[in-house]
Amino acid sequence: MAYKPFDADALIDATAPLLQLQVAPEHRAGIKANLKTAGKMAALVEQMKLEDDAEPAPVYRA
Amino acid sequence: MKASATAAEIAGDVKAGRIKARAVIEAALKRIDRHNPMLGAFTEVTAERALETADRVDAKLAEGGDPGPLAGVPFAVKNLYDIRGLVTRAGSKINRDNAPATSDATLVTRLEAAGAVLVGALNMGEYAYDFTGENAHDGPSRNPHALDRMTGGSSGGSASAVAGGLVPLSLGSDTNGSIRVPASLCGLFGLKPTYGRLSRAHTFPFVSSLDHLGPFARSVEDLALVYDAMQGFDEADPAQSKRVNEPTAARLKHPVPGRRIAVAGDYFTGSTEAQAHVQKVAKALDATKVVTIPDAQAARAAAFLITMAEGAALHLDRLRSRPDDFDPEVRDRLLAGAMLPAVWIERAQKFRRAYRDKVLKLFTEVDVILAPSAPMTAPLIGQKTASFGGVEMPLRPHMGIFTQPISFIGLPVVSVPVWLEDGALPLGVQVIAAPWREDICLRVAHQLEASGTCVAPVARGFAEAEVGSA
Repeated sequence: MAYKPFDADALIDATAPLLQLQVAPEHRAGIKANLKTAGKMAALVEQMKLEDDAEPAPVYRA
Repeated sequence: MKASATAAEIAGDVKAGRIKARAVIEAALKRIDRHNPMLGAFTEVTAERALETADRVDAKLAEGGDPGPLAGVPFAVKNLYDIRGLVTRAGSKINRDNAPATSDATLVTRLEAAGAVLVGALNMGEYAYDFTGENAHDGPSRNPHALDRMTGGSSGGSASAVAGGLVPLSLGSDTNGSIRVPASLCGLFGLKPTYGRLSRAHTFPFVSSLDHLGPFARSVEDLALVYDAMQGFDEADPAQSKRVNEPTAARLKHPVPGRRIAVAGDYFTGSTEAQAHVQKVAKALDATKVVTIPDAQAARAAAFLITMAEGAALHLDRLRSRPDDFDPEVRDRLLAGAMLPAVWIERAQKFRRAYRDKVLKLFTEVDVILAPSAPMTAPLIGQKTASFGGVEMPLRPHMGIFTQPISFIGLPVVSVPVWLEDGALPLGVQVIAAPWREDICLRVAHQLEASGTCVAPVARGFAEAEVGSA
């Protein structure tokens, strides 16, 4: 999956009430910038093929 | 006692009766008093406790007992470690309203059981979400090698205190590079052990999936001594592995053959400045092999996402109730982290296992992989952007580009300090081994120290500061 620009304002406006987070106007630009970076990072991870039986590693055991 | 004395030298002198532990600690407290206003390394000094602990060490020696391998050695810890009677602030303003800790962090207890003496708590980036060593509430920790420059973070005070000769040893934490980046920028040896090796009990967390604790020192022997003293299972950390102690200090002189040491290619060659430092180390080790750590960019991305999301989950209530009391840069990243789709995080965790399997295969061919600890030497305090591969990028997240793909799967690393010329700023190189092979990282670091390739001096202007004597 390649990165596609998305409407970060819409994401903030949808999730903030769900999470009961207040987003002050002066916080918005920073949150948007971080969401865009996260979107690009997610696109990189999604390029990695995962098998259906892939197990997560929430607690890493070496 | 000189500011440049190593822990091993101090313990040797104390045990031989050449100096009292109390005198060592009094000298350390004087150095802290004199230099900390310049360095911003300590946020709290536990002078009374330290002198009492030192007196117990001296009393034990007077009775003919052995106080342990770190007898009378002063050390300090990042202020996310619990210290009995102090509030664990974790670099934040918000946590200062918490009750004082009722016990010490497990690793503090272990070091004091080995004879070491806690002298205080150290500055850090807020909630450890930082690579700069700047703190919005306490001010920046400063790099003793250039006071206008960053220490790196988030264990910035831990690096400043050791490079400034205030203490020979300190402890920090490393989730994505927070020991390795400041060790790199301040010219120190830093150890990030295997994930699950050391107990994290009674420290303030950040990202449970990725949090590690570890030490800073100016000699590899010291790093091994302090690491050995901290090993051992502790059921209070649910992520710790039940692993027998594997002492390293006595085996430092066993060399690792150059043909079993490789340089990380591709992704890890993105900084010309860092590559020059890696090549100096490779040459000294006679390491000519190059290996590709596969999918490193995706690994860094996955670590980035897991960090945002787990960090946000940890701080969600504080983000709701006190958003304006956070460092704004930390707050905005955490708020964004709360809004990430869950499927991204699940896929990042699944990728983690697949990536681990691929990387561990490399260790059938080699014992050690070398990679930069940071993309550049210490930036100026306050600097917000820097050129990465010719592109101007935000500085703060990019300082961890070479450390994140390694800690993502918990591999053990010693960051070794490299100086290309006299007077230049240092840059670190990661000596990376397979899980549970801290001994190999330390042996290679020792080889590099013995050959003079890597040194970790007290910064000029601080080294001469001899205060107090036997």
